[in-house]
Amino acid sequence: MRCLSPSGVRFKEVRVTDDVAASNPSAADHGALLEACARGERQALQQLYAQEGSRLLGVVVRIVGDRGIAEDIIHDAFVNIWNKAHTFDATRGSGKTWIFSVARHLALNHVRTRHREVTVDDETADRLDAERAQEAETDMQDHFDWLGHGDLDRCLAQLAPERRNCLFHAYVDGFSHPEIATRMNRPLGTVKAWIKRSLAALRECLS
Amino acid sequence: MSDHSASPPPLGPEETDDLAGEYVLGTLSAEQRLDVERRLPEDPKLQEAIWAWERRLQPYTAMVEPVTPSNRLWQRITRTLDDRETSRSSAEERATHPGGLLNRLWHDLTLWRGVSLASIIVAIGLAATLALGPGQTPSSRYLVVLMTPQHTQAGWIVQASSPRRISLKPIGTFEIPPGKALEFWTKADDWSGPVSLGLVEPGETRQLSLDDLPPLEDNQLFELTLEDDSGSPLDRPTGPIQFIGRAVEL
Repeated sequence: MRCLSPSGVRFKEVRVTDDVAASNPSAADHGALLEACARGERQALQQLYAQEGSRLLGVVVRIVGDRGIAEDIIHDAFVNIWNKAHTFDATRGSGKTWIFSVARHLALNHVRTRHREVTVDDETADRLDAERAQEAETDMQDHFDWLGHGDLDRCLAQLAPERRNCLFHAYVDGFSHPEIATRMNRPLGTVKAWIKRSLAALRECLS
Repeated sequence: MSDHSASPPPLGPEETDDLAGEYVLGTLSAEQRLDVERRLPEDPKLQEAIWAWERRLQPYTAMVEPVTPSNRLWQRITRTLDDRETSRSSAEERATHPGGLLNRLWHDLTLWRGVSLASIIVAIGLAATLALGPGQTPSSRYLVVLMTPQHTQAGWIVQASSPRRISLKPIGTFEIPPGKALEFWTKADDWSGPVSLGLVEPGETRQLSLDDLPPLEDNQLFELTLEDDSGSPLDRPTGPIQFIGRAVEL
């Protein structure tokens, strides 16, 4: 079911955009490239790969911690992007947001199911939590250079640094609640509550 | 929550947004993630909430250093897509040429260099009785040849007389190490993870009904993994793949 002439015209437009993108990658119209993918134009997928492949791989390597596994996930992500391009709905978000979410969720599914199911018994967990609560020094340092990336900056700025750290250890490192508790040296329950409250505070700030 | 048949209780607006936020952030457990993915198709509010968090957070992925993919990666991606396109076009060919299935199977099997000749003959012989044998109904039928991951040996055949009923037939021998079991899994292209179809005994034919699953579709993945003798402790495979194949619509 390929519509040849309209897609040909579209693709020319995309390529013009892409010339601009060569000097300014953020100008590339990922949404138009996804529409071209949905029409079966393999070059459009290759352009997405050329523009975002290394950034996507960076994001996935950071979450799974292994270059080989990360490349497997990027392989699956691009196969999914190709197969599901027709389901992309530009009214809900940008093409860039969509392809990053495809790759990130594959990476998150991988780490949650395969490697990091670290469980400790309740007694050990209680003891660890008690130790952490005693030791935890006030960590006022940001672990991430988050400022200047997005519209959420204004709302993130209203959170305490260690709460921002929790959010970004989850979002960027793909850490689970227990992993964040270890990294932040805070009790698990505290970390869970902080993240929940931080999301609610961001929601409030945005509304 | 993990009950497949019952529809999950509806969520309030704040609960929906909390769940969406933690899903996108990545802090949910494997089980909770699966639960979200099961809810998604029928919960437009959850879909919208997830998109909203994706839009807000995605710009912060720019904090991560890019990593240049190896040269092989794009080639691997195109090879996978080429293989799928070949399957699709031969599916079209099959519709017009009744002998197309055998040609395609022959093509697929000979592509895998080093496949044992005996297993090819068995696989094609079975396929031939399936495709051309008496009593063929007009409803769609499916065939899967489960090969070792290196494609050196065909071990099992899955055949389906309807998208709801399948049978798994051994065409070779397999020794299960002590304390281990073979677990049978399936996954369609757009499922988030594989679903267990239970444990199987080597050398034994099993009939299975897929009533709790969506109907079988073309290219659906089937695999047998080696698990502890009580089966995988998680809701997905934890052991190595022993045999793997994809469904072909006859």
